[in-house]
Amino acid sequence: MKAYSIVGRDIPRRDARSKATGSAVYTDDIKLPGMLHGRILRSPVPHARILNIDVSRAAALPGVKCVITGQDTPKIKYGNWRLFPATQDEYPLAVDKVRFVGDEVAAVAAVDRDTAEEALSLIRVDYEELPAVYDVRRAIRKDAPLIHEGSPGNVSVERKIAYGDVRAGFREADYVREDTFTVHPVSHAYLEPCSTVARCDPDGRITLWTSTQTPYIVQCLLASVLGMRENDIRVIKPFVGGGFGGKMELRPWEFCAAFMAKKTGRPVKFVLEREEELVFGRRRHPMRITSKVGFKKDGTLVAKDLKILLDGGAYNAMGPTATFLCGNFGAMLYRYPNYRFYGRHVYTNKPPASAMRGFGAPQSLFAAESQMNMAAEDLGIDPIELRLKNAQVPGDVIPDVATISSCGFVECLREVARMSGWNRKRKTHKPGRGIGVGCYSFISGGVFNWFNTQYPFSAAEVRAFSDGTVHLLTMASDIGQGSDTALAQILAEELGLRMEDIRVTSADTAMTPQADLGSWGSRVTLMAGNAVVQAARQIKEALFGAVSARFNLNVIYDFECKEGRVQARGRPDRGVSFGEAVAMAQKANRGEPVVARGYYTPRNKGLVTPAFSFGAQVAEVSVDRETGLVEVEKIWTAHDCGTVINPTAVEGQLEGSIHMGLGYALSEELRMENGRTLNRTFLDYKMPHAPDMPANESLCVDTYEPEGPMGAKEAGEGLVSPTAPAIAEAVYHATGYRCKDLPITPEKILKGMKK
Amino acid sequence: MTFPKFEYLAPQTLDEAISILEEKGPEVRVMAGGTDLLVKMRQGLLKPRTVVSLKRIQGLDKISFDRKDGLRIGATALLADVASHPSVRSHYPAVAYAASETANVQIRNMGTVAGNLCNAAPSADNAPVLTAMGACVVLAGPRGERCLPLDAFFLGPGLTAMEPSEILTEIRVPFPRRGTGTSYQHLSARGKVDISAVGVGVMLRVEGKTCREAGIILGAVAPTPLRARRTEKLLVGKSLTADLLERAGRSAAAESAPISDVRATASYRRKMVAVLTRRALSEAYERARRNAKKR
Repeated sequence: MKAYSIVGRDIPRRDARSKATGSAVYTDDIKLPGMLHGRILRSPVPHARILNIDVSRAAALPGVKCVITGQDTPKIKYGNWRLFPATQDEYPLAVDKVRFVGDEVAAVAAVDRDTAEEALSLIRVDYEELPAVYDVRRAIRKDAPLIHEGSPGNVSVERKIAYGDVRAGFREADYVREDTFTVHPVSHAYLEPCSTVARCDPDGRITLWTSTQTPYIVQCLLASVLGMRENDIRVIKPFVGGGFGGKMELRPWEFCAAFMAKKTGRPVKFVLEREEELVFGRRRHPMRITSKVGFKKDGTLVAKDLKILLDGGAYNAMGPTATFLCGNFGAMLYRYPNYRFYGRHVYTNKPPASAMRGFGAPQSLFAAESQMNMAAEDLGIDPIELRLKNAQVPGDVIPDVATISSCGFVECLREVARMSGWNRKRKTHKPGRGIGVGCYSFISGGVFNWFNTQYPFSAAEVRAFSDGTVHLLTMASDIGQGSDTALAQILAEELGLRMEDIRVTSADTAMTPQADLGSWGSRVTLMAGNAVVQAARQIKEALFGAVSARFNLNVIYDFECKEGRVQARGRPDRGVSFGEAVAMAQKANRGEPVVARGYYTPRNKGLVTPAFSFGAQVAEVSVDRETGLVEVEKIWTAHDCGTVINPTAVEGQLEGSIHMGLGYALSEELRMENGRTLNRTFLDYKMPHAPDMPANESLCVDTYEPEGPMGAKEAGEGLVSPTAPAIAEAVYHATGYRCKDLPITPEKILKGMKK
Repeated sequence: MTFPKFEYLAPQTLDEAISILEEKGPEVRVMAGGTDLLVKMRQGLLKPRTVVSLKRIQGLDKISFDRKDGLRIGATALLADVASHPSVRSHYPAVAYAASETANVQIRNMGTVAGNLCNAAPSADNAPVLTAMGACVVLAGPRGERCLPLDAFFLGPGLTAMEPSEILTEIRVPFPRRGTGTSYQHLSARGKVDISAVGVGVMLRVEGKTCREAGIILGAVAPTPLRARRTEKLLVGKSLTADLLERAGRSAAAESAPISDVRATASYRRKMVAVLTRRALSEAYERARRNAKKR
């Protein structure tokens, strides 16, 4: 690994102090003079035509300043997939129909929350109920109720991938198996519920403070639904209490706040309740995954045929991307010479599913990795050996998907086997105890430009000052993952400065350079990091020129920024402090500030991602064979995230991923009945608690990603995928129960053990 | 949901508190830790006009113990204090354990055992063991005090035998006779920190291997904590063999009347009653034998 002085060190997070002391300002902390409080009326029925809405009693309630319904709005549809307008299927407030329990129907702004809440109860909506459908297999039948005009069969998006010859592949195979897996909906459960404050200036411009992962997307889509120009809207992201994919779209309350602020001339705030988040909120896609794989006797993979039905709920949201990605992930990790994928995104009358940490990978890889474990057993080959035999390596080409550059998957498998004592534990079988493996690969940002941005994917502006400080401006959004810290580290490293020399302004669409697509798909470190490096290098060029002139140095000298100085490489005597160098460069340019911009847009990297991460995880469990309760005792992880920028941040991502993976595997599930979500509070939505967390041990294998800033790639999402298949395999090893329908509940284990 | 507007009173004496209840009528609610009451109010499930806090009444948080009167837990004694009290831990280990397993750290530091009983959830972690041990609750009202056995206290989910103007001031648990052992077993989907999907509290008194007295209370499998009377009878007078404990588990399961909900299905709950009853009996039996030797 290359030696760095700031990158690779445990630099404390820039937001740690303000979060720990409570001084961090989140959206709900913003209070503006004259501010109104908004609440949203939601549909109580899963599928209905709106016949009439009577808001007169609500509007007459003292303290109510504004009541709106879909009829008051410009009635412009929106959606993240701007490149394909046909996929934009949502109105901010329902216009003709409601399509799920919770669909937004009307909004109220009042002098306080209680009044707004009371006003909601005074709105009368007449619905003509329509037949509803909740199951993907029913929804695609010809006689199913149609949820959206223009999407016959309720299929909104299809994706096919095919390479090689799958039929010929299966003919060659000695062993073929086909399995169907189903996975369930889970909640992002970010601690900060969605919140937004809008203000309208007297000149009609809007400022929106909002809890989002994607200020730029919110800015553009809000402009389009309001019929305004993009740059008459300024979106600011305050501190955000987590997103995990659930805050990357324009949402109705953002529209309603802006629209009602415009109408009333007063700021309007919306803060969602936890119950709204759980019952009506975005969620991870439930999927029905049918996978057929073929192997040679010796374990060599020959073919895979993957079919996935995504249960999208009532609107597309980020479902189209999930549809693309789950097919891509199905082709990852192993060399499939012949591969076919057919994915369909299906509408149902349920709250829309959308992006959630892993973005199709947790579902797709639960199936792929479980099937790998089943095949290993049938073939009589150790599961890790079978993986090693087929593992992708650097330079592998996946037609239609990508060429793999850095890849430490083989090392990950070997390391995780060593760390966990795999060989010994796998052979010595004690009843009620088990050990299992699961693996992942993930993207470091997406390439496919579904948002159809005309800007670079990421941008950074660096301003250098003669007092030795620099100011980094970027639209990249720190939502708790630590990008403000990581990007400052990258900049400090490149410029030879200390962390305290760097000021960061981020995620303000009016003040930071255009643009950044947001925090999703594990794109920020690589993409915004590259933009920062590019800007920093231009600053360095300017400073190197000034220093070279000052010392009248031979042109063959190389220069460096190191420890606060700008100097000829290896010659500290031929150099000046960073601040002096800035002053010199500035004077040489007649006072012009030393400012540079850097950009990054992936090119010639296929349509999926510029770089893949890899990893392998082993879980050891004990199962109470009478109650079916599973205790995950320990988790070992070896992963390849390229150069580690901040080890503590990576460890935090790993632990957070294990926590999420644990809940996904064992206890979390949004339970549905006739389109209604039954878990209304955290009492009944079972996220694991601190004492439920297993011990964990991890290792980052040493790789260098040529496309990443200083060799880095993603570490924030991929890690969430291996936990469920590893636990499922460990439970099988312990009990003989093989889970093909997540979550692994005690009841299923008890039933499964009887066989 | 918004918080309904209400009047908040914090009297300093019990008499004052009782007269407030009398005066305000049925739309008043008594609050100890507030960890159930305030949540229900916020969810719009309860809309009292007046909330009367007991927290400022001196001495109501007392936990006292002696061998003659047994254990007394004051109405505002915290779950955390009951769980860590040395006398509770040594003489009433299952009472301490149930308190220590109720909800989470934050709630145990605010909530009370008395509140857990008055909330009358079928899943209340503290009800089974206390009921099994023959505890009673002291109810103070305008016409004085009465002592009501817990068996007669729970009437249904959220319903108790308390009069609207009565306040539960104390829980009294008799000193266990020689040869007594207790146990609380519970489980839920989340594992370590959760509301119980099933809970079983047991008290056994033995002479040698023979069971002389048995109390078995099942939680979260009926509208109230349920006494498994047939199973108790099955045990009394018999030698507590592994086979008998197994049969007792099955018998308790048969006596239970669980429902299916978001936390577990009825059939799983019933199976778990069998497992947990057997485990509770076996732990209680171990403790009973140790207790018989100790004195």
